[in-house]
Amino acid sequence: MTQKARTKRVVRKSNLRLIEDFMPPEGVPITFETAGLGVRLGAQILDILITFLFVIAIVIMLAIVDLSRGETVMAVGSLLFFFIRIPYYILTELFWNGETLGKRMLKIKVVSADGRSLTPHAVVVRNLTKEAEVFLPIALMFTMPGMDGWGVLASLAWIGACLIGPFFSKKRQRLGDFIAGTYVIHKPVARLLPDLSRATTVQHAERFAFMPHQMDHYGAYELQTLETLLQRDTSKTVTYETRRRNEETMDAIVTRIRRKIDYSDPIEKKDHRDFLKAFYAAQRAHLEQRQLFGDKRDDKYQLAERNKNNGA
Amino acid sequence: MDNAVLIRSARFRQERENDWARLEQIVTAAEKRGVHNLSYDDARDLASLYRQAANSLSVAREISLDKALLQYLEALTARAYLAVYAPQERLGGLVSRFFLKSAPQAMRRSALFVLMGFLAMFLGAVAGYLLFLENPSWYDVFLPADLAGGRGPGASTEYLRSVIYQDEAHSGLGAFASFLFSHNTRIAIFVFGLGIFACAPAFLLTFYNGLIFGAFVALHVERGLGWDIAGWLSIHGVTELSAICIACGGGLKLGSAVLFPGQRLRTEALREEGKDAVKLAIVAAIMLFAAAILEGFGRQLVQDMNTRLIIGWGIGALWLSWFVFVGRENK
Repeated sequence: MTQKARTKRVVRKSNLRLIEDFMPPEGVPITFETAGLGVRLGAQILDILITFLFVIAIVIMLAIVDLSRGETVMAVGSLLFFFIRIPYYILTELFWNGETLGKRMLKIKVVSADGRSLTPHAVVVRNLTKEAEVFLPIALMFTMPGMDGWGVLASLAWIGACLIGPFFSKKRQRLGDFIAGTYVIHKPVARLLPDLSRATTVQHAERFAFMPHQMDHYGAYELQTLETLLQRDTSKTVTYETRRRNEETMDAIVTRIRRKIDYSDPIEKKDHRDFLKAFYAAQRAHLEQRQLFGDKRDDKYQLAERNKNNGA
Repeated sequence: MDNAVLIRSARFRQERENDWARLEQIVTAAEKRGVHNLSYDDARDLASLYRQAANSLSVAREISLDKALLQYLEALTARAYLAVYAPQERLGGLVSRFFLKSAPQAMRRSALFVLMGFLAMFLGAVAGYLLFLENPSWYDVFLPADLAGGRGPGASTEYLRSVIYQDEAHSGLGAFASFLFSHNTRIAIFVFGLGIFACAPAFLLTFYNGLIFGAFVALHVERGLGWDIAGWLSIHGVTELSAICIACGGGLKLGSAVLFPGQRLRTEALREEGKDAVKLAIVAAIMLFAAAILEGFGRQLVQDMNTRLIIGWGIGALWLSWFVFVGRENK
């Protein structure tokens, strides 16, 4: 039962976001959230639109100046598209540190998977292969109606082969990313929330005093869940409805905690928040101290299991 | 709060918070304007504060259960990492390094593969030539009709001559553009890209291209137009066919990494060999571009056979000297 509940939680966490550990030269692993295919497709479409507008502007200029024959303008246009987009992707990614304009708008970024900086080689490779992996399938889709059976089959096979890579690789890498050793991440957003352990006063800490054995029921996961809940109040955009729902959750949690840790003193409803804050501070101090002594407690199941093994 | 309970990890955080705020400010500036435009103080502090933040993160992971702190430090360190390790390239430096050093060096390192590319083309040409002399109907087997443009065994000698020395109605930019998407560019792209499948497709495609070339030349030689076609082809063909052979060399390099990775993993080998192969591909692309200019403009402007020969082979010699002499380091 406990085992099952635990695996369930792990699965839920990993499904939500694609987190990758990343080792920079400093040797402290950093976690990055891998960009999904949807946002990358969005950035690609934006980039195509940008380059396309650029080409259209030039073609219109050419048409006004001199070349009146439609056929020539078309040829020049498709040629320009080719000659503008390759430098566009390479230069933007190189000089803006892995961001084209489209990526910049959607806040994603190319990084080198080995933890070093992006090399010109990696950028060139991932954007040259883009020709075969992204633009060739698009072109094939347009020309497919005019092909014979084998041509259609070969085109479909190629389009399929290009799509398989990103879907099945863990870091959502396409073939060019593999060869270049790069992948795409969400740009991290750094926002420092207040330290909750300091939100409780000495008076509160004295009023809600906890015994050491009362602290031995929960682990880091529960502590941080409680923190997330309490932090919600500090955000500026709290509607009346969410506040009411928060209150309800808090009441339920207080009841649960009191039962679990055998806290017998009565607590008035208006003190629930202060109680939880005091409990958070005391529990965190306790867990951090245990952790310093090599007794790391991930969650309550780990603790329960340990108690059971000790008892047996 | 003044009378707050201060536990160890909260003290840790309190002592360092100002440094992190400063780092965040520098990183934001670097993200907006680039690391080049930071002031001296900011640039100096960025590096040291980044290392401090990484250090803090590592400590915080051990001693703190403050989720707000851990998430913030992780994001801050990640952003600072991205700012510190941004590529510091200048366009001019990049281009000159490619032309003066890395491209010719890559060519020399892959000389064997490039020579194999030329060999494939040469063998194909000889085979095509001999086969045509044996039986002219091979010509139609090798050459797709749209490429031949009416120049086949059935065409008269006069017609062939007129194609070689004609003032084409459409020239200049239009011809240039249409050329680039023509047969040979496509061949070069395929020859390079398909090389990854164990070399064979690259070699065969180049060989086939040689067959076409051989048969085409044989047709003209048979009609006594040998030198004329040599001039017609040379002016851009020396550059263009070399580009295909070099692209083939790049493809063979990729294929050989797949076939013979040695002690490395295949993906690793592919990545390493890919570095030179990509440079070969870029060299081939530059040469095709030059060939397009020559074909679009040079062939119409220069009608004399000898001048055509001189220009074509002269430019070929320039390419060769670029590959052979540029970027040698004195030891």
